[in-house]
Amino acid sequence: METRPKILVLDDDSDWLSVCSDFLTQLPSSPDIQTASSGTRALSLLDVQPFRVLLCDLKMPQMNGLEVLSIVRRRFPELRTVALTGFSDEEFRSRAYELGVDMFWMKADMQQDRQKFLDCIESLLIRNEGEFRAVQKKSLLDVIRMESALHNSSVLRITSGWKAAHIWIRNGQLIDAQVEGADGEAAFWRILKWNTSAFEILPAEPGHVQTITKSLEALLLESAQTMKKAEHPTPKQEEEETAFVTRLTAVTCEGADFVVTVPDKKGGAARGWGIRDADQLAAWARLAGETAQRLGRKLGAGPLTHIAGHNQERHLLSLPGKGRTFVIGWPREADPRHLFEQSKKLADTWAS
Amino acid sequence: MGILNWFFRSGPDFQKLSAGGFTVDRHGNVLSSTVGPAFSRRRLRDIGCEVLLLFRAARAAQMPLTGLDLNFSGLHITAQETHGGAIIFLSPQNSRLAPPSPAGKDRP
Repeated sequence: METRPKILVLDDDSDWLSVCSDFLTQLPSSPDIQTASSGTRALSLLDVQPFRVLLCDLKMPQMNGLEVLSIVRRRFPELRTVALTGFSDEEFRSRAYELGVDMFWMKADMQQDRQKFLDCIESLLIRNEGEFRAVQKKSLLDVIRMESALHNSSVLRITSGWKAAHIWIRNGQLIDAQVEGADGEAAFWRILKWNTSAFEILPAEPGHVQTITKSLEALLLESAQTMKKAEHPTPKQEEEETAFVTRLTAVTCEGADFVVTVPDKKGGAARGWGIRDADQLAAWARLAGETAQRLGRKLGAGPLTHIAGHNQERHLLSLPGKGRTFVIGWPREADPRHLFEQSKKLADTWAS
Repeated sequence: MGILNWFFRSGPDFQKLSAGGFTVDRHGNVLSSTVGPAFSRRRLRDIGCEVLLLFRAARAAQMPLTGLDLNFSGLHITAQETHGGAIIFLSPQNSRLAPPSPAGKDRP
């Protein structure tokens, strides 16, 4: 039985992990705080332990935070997620919200406004699980439809992390919406993108000015079409996405950080799982393969079995295969004596 | 040695490889070596230059490496980067290969 709630902090900066862990120990609920320095490591921890909150850095060199969050959304829908970033980037912010994060914090704000940050994290930890999620799992559209069908008049207050918005309904008709920086129809569309937001129903405001004239049916039809496009990929897209997640899961299960496949054919596109920029590494792997083959021929050293490298963060193994080379990144703590066999095993899963 | 040569004469080319280590500077010049005489300085320099090329290429690919192993069926080349140069070990994977030369024998 879980006694202390668990928090997982994911960041590639070990100093930050240490600072953040110290920081979170001040939370009143005394959570069990664990850290991970790579996305794959975080996913493997989430697989085996019941974490309640994930604090995820967005900018990381290998699997970035958005990739982690997109996998987390599918595999651990109950997990509360907080995106952290060191820089202000609206696109990152909106993409993080699209992935359903509960909060978005700038690291600088988090340090400047410590108490507020701690209060927010505590609120994620202590919320009544059943009650809160029951409300949250109703979509906003469900509530609007319900209000419309009952010809109700009300104000919906929607929150997503620190962001808040309002929608006014009068006699079942949506008359206005407001969110920071927008109002009317534009605000309504923006709010609909907060697909995992929480909301509450407030008393009606009879004197509120109407800005939306389209019928609710027309708006809902448009929104349904938009959401259908966004949420229902083509079968091919779905298949590709499933294959991607399956292989990424294999990478995680084997304990690797990333895999890059490099086709032998020149000009063939490299593909990466768990790594942001596979092309640079692929270029190195091609060069390393050619150089080693050339050297091997010159020395009469026999066929090349593999190339291994390491630095302070990880081990790297380049494994020539049929028609392509696998470049596999392993965490530094992995035992180098077994990496060749483990890499071969992982490469075999691609073939199958 | 004559009888050994008789035994080894039908073996593959890599029987000539010998174990040992050598260091190269950032330009690939061999600074010191314990590798047997079967390896000319020129060949050691070739190996050193290729290894340095791979370290530099890895850095350019945003994946700087401090150590590198090239594993062939008959030889392992293990390199450690040292301030732009490298220390490189040759480890034959075949017991018929020539033994390493005594330390310092091949030094300039």
